[in-house]
Amino acid sequence: MSAGYIDELHEAFHSDLAYRSEDIPLECSPKPKEMEQTLHGVMKLNGLIIRSLEEIAGRGANAVTYRAGKKFGHEVAKYFQKREDVEGALHELSDLLRGQYSFEVWKPEDKETFIIEENGETFIYLVFHDCIVRQTLRRNGLEQGGPLCQTLFGYVVGAIEEITGRKAKLEIVHTGPNACLKKLILK
Amino acid sequence: MEIHVDKDACVGCGLCVKDCPMHVYELQNNVSVAVRPNNCMGCLSCHEICPAQALEHRGVYPARRHYIDIKVCEMLRKVI
Ligand code: SF4
Ligand code: SF4
Repeated sequence: MSAGYIDELHEAFHSDLAYRSEDIPLECSPKPKEMEQTLHGVMKLNGLIIRSLEEIAGRGANAVTYRAGKKFGHEVAKYFQKREDVEGALHELSDLLRGQYSFEVWKPEDKETFIIEENGETFIYLVFHDCIVRQTLRRNGLEQGGPLCQTLFGYVVGAIEEITGRKAKLEIVHTGPNACLKKLILK
Repeated sequence: MEIHVDKDACVGCGLCVKDCPMHVYELQNNVSVAVRPNNCMGCLSCHEICPAQALEHRGVYPARRHYIDIKVCEMLRKVI
């Protein structure tokens, strides 16, 4: 993965802001008018969830929402350029998700590279910063990591599969109020 | 990422040590110390869990907040 792309990403997700526990957000950020694109994404996603629910009713909420997300990922990504390299695919993916989710590749300090090989698995850590699912869950007082998060999993996996032609899997490592850490496992 | 723990506010409960998935904190003499700040990915779970509001992160990317209820905030602004 080229250093330029990684630096560009890290710069985009760095600020000089000091964030204190007692900071209570008093307004929507960004302004509601700028959220139209996001809302369209939510509506479309919800439509697909319901359609998928009808298709496979009774097989558990996670299976349904994962499938809905994956369909969405495949559908949107089919118009994007096909490529085999993971770096390029992640670039395409961030364009694809713009307005709904944003993420950066991440690694713990003891790892040398962003593509990590461990216990026979090849994976990349992704930190999801902006996320419509997290917003929806927090708006409704619901826990993170449940069925609605599966839509994002499906979405990312579907899009990566569509762009690279490779099978992939996404796992939750941690969910937080400001960012979530996920593991993109490449097969 | 720069992480500052307010030593006077910290009550040494260790919740941030337990909750942080990246093992950023350690308790030293009953006060939390950010020993691995470079491992922080900015989830801010520790802010949510700290009962003493003793933590400050500098350099964190604040995620978009769509869940804020504008009407409630307008009311809050009148009373705060
Ligand atoms: S923001 Fe998350 S990763 Fe960073 S110190 Fe707090 S709990 Fe750990
Ligand atoms: S959660 Fe807060 S009060 Fe408890 S040890 Fe951590 S910094 Fe100190």
